[in-house]
Amino acid sequence: MNCEVAHERIVLAAYGELADDLVHELGRHLTTCAECCADREQLQALKTLAAVHSVIEPNANLVARSRMQLEEALDAIPPKRWYERFGEGLLNHFARLQAAPVAAGLLLVAGIGAGSVGGFEFSQARAAHAAGKTSQVVASDSPVAAIPASPADVASISSIVQQPNSEMVEVRYNQVVPKRIQGSLDDPAIRQLLMMASEDPASAGIRDDSVGLLAAECRAGHSCNGAGIRDALMVALRYDRNEGVREKALKGLELYVAEDMRVRDAVLEALLNDSDARIRTEAINILEPVEADMTVRQVLSTVATSDQNPQIRNVSRQVLRRVPQFQ
Amino acid sequence: MDGPDRAQERLQARAPEMELIREAQKGSRVAFDALVRQYENQVLRLALHLTGSEHDAEDIYQEAFLKAFRYIGNFRFECSFYTWIYRIVTNLCLDQLRRRKTRREDSAVLVDHSGDEIDLLASVSDNRSYSSPDRELDRKVLGERIQAALGKLTPRERMVFELKHYQGLRLRTIGEMLNTTEETAKNTLFRATKKLRLQLAGLR
Repeated sequence: MNCEVAHERIVLAAYGELADDLVHELGRHLTTCAECCADREQLQALKTLAAVHSVIEPNANLVARSRMQLEEALDAIPPKRWYERFGEGLLNHFARLQAAPVAAGLLLVAGIGAGSVGGFEFSQARAAHAAGKTSQVVASDSPVAAIPASPADVASISSIVQQPNSEMVEVRYNQVVPKRIQGSLDDPAIRQLLMMASEDPASAGIRDDSVGLLAAECRAGHSCNGAGIRDALMVALRYDRNEGVREKALKGLELYVAEDMRVRDAVLEALLNDSDARIRTEAINILEPVEADMTVRQVLSTVATSDQNPQIRNVSRQVLRRVPQFQ
Repeated sequence: MDGPDRAQERLQARAPEMELIREAQKGSRVAFDALVRQYENQVLRLALHLTGSEHDAEDIYQEAFLKAFRYIGNFRFECSFYTWIYRIVTNLCLDQLRRRKTRREDSAVLVDHSGDEIDLLASVSDNRSYSSPDRELDRKVLGERIQAALGKLTPRERMVFELKHYQGLRLRTIGEMLNTTEETAKNTLFRATKKLRLQLAGLR
């Protein structure tokens, strides 16, 4: 091994990027080469010096401020139009084809075939045009629809066909048709829709209504175990941006904090991380039946010392004093 | 070397994240917010350390996640989401470093949101060997010299050194993030350490 290669390998070895066998080889070289030994020492010194400019953790204020600004900016972005989603889907589809040579080959063959047919049609049309005839092709097995009032009414485009040598285009699309369903809160279909509504990014009001109803069902003990209702409430508690929605979700989970560890974890996370003091206070109250639990005590201890709200710190301390210490 | 079992384990560990990405691609803001919360600390830490300014770090954070939101539909699971978001962030940081390179030298202090200066070195413990009383240089001057040396690297060298030395990423991942090969990342790291050693030779 010459010294030039050794210098490179010293850097790689210092950062744990050199294979074991090469490390041994480098070690052998270093025992015989003073210059490379000095080079290694220089690098070690650099690593020690660079540690002075250490990485600092972003403080909680910076994180909260950045998150708030981002949420405002995201709220200002209009939802994607159908044609944007369609375009993205199309691009992704082509990108996948690029990665699949067989499919790309088939597409090429299909393209050549379509080109030949198109060329034939084109020559036929020109011949007909030259003969002074007009031709009209109607090839549709579905009724011709009126132009949709708004692009939002269109769910997807299924095909686009242009008539040869013409500006006529046939676009087949699927339309979103508004529907209404009525039923009991115990009806699985209604519950499914409520769970979908609990994640509606566009409307906090819809999320609030749906989470409120699901939470009320859970509080009333109406089979909150199945169909992921409890999960939906936990997701809302953890991630919903609206504090009203999170509060309702928290209340809906109250009955299950003793029996379900996942619920307990979600409530503890809310107690530690939620930005709203009311929700953190409510979380302490809800945890009352399990306040002797070791994890709960640990979180309460953390909150009692570090929560920014003095009232919450006081309440946590009171709860901790009430419960006997575990030995 | 990774075996198929390790790859399978990694894939399983990433399953909930992949689900969140798919939901976000369908337009779910809740899922996107969950992704933001997962990566926001890492994004801010990198931007803050590279730019030394809370204000710049905030701008990079916002721009990076807005870009991620706009283009998440183009994410095709060919790399991890971590690599993808880091690629966006490193590009924004590189732009910022290039702009700064033409404006001024790096300052040795960090600037917070209100414009006040924070002494970066105050957060570092003082029990290191080089802080011996025999040395004429105190830690502040030392820190300034290190920052100045880092500031003399090209933005790309600075970035590779940052990702390797401070963020501890593999060279292969760094190559993916910077749209280059592992070999190029390795050479860039080699150049960066060589320059830094020359710059800081007198401090040893």
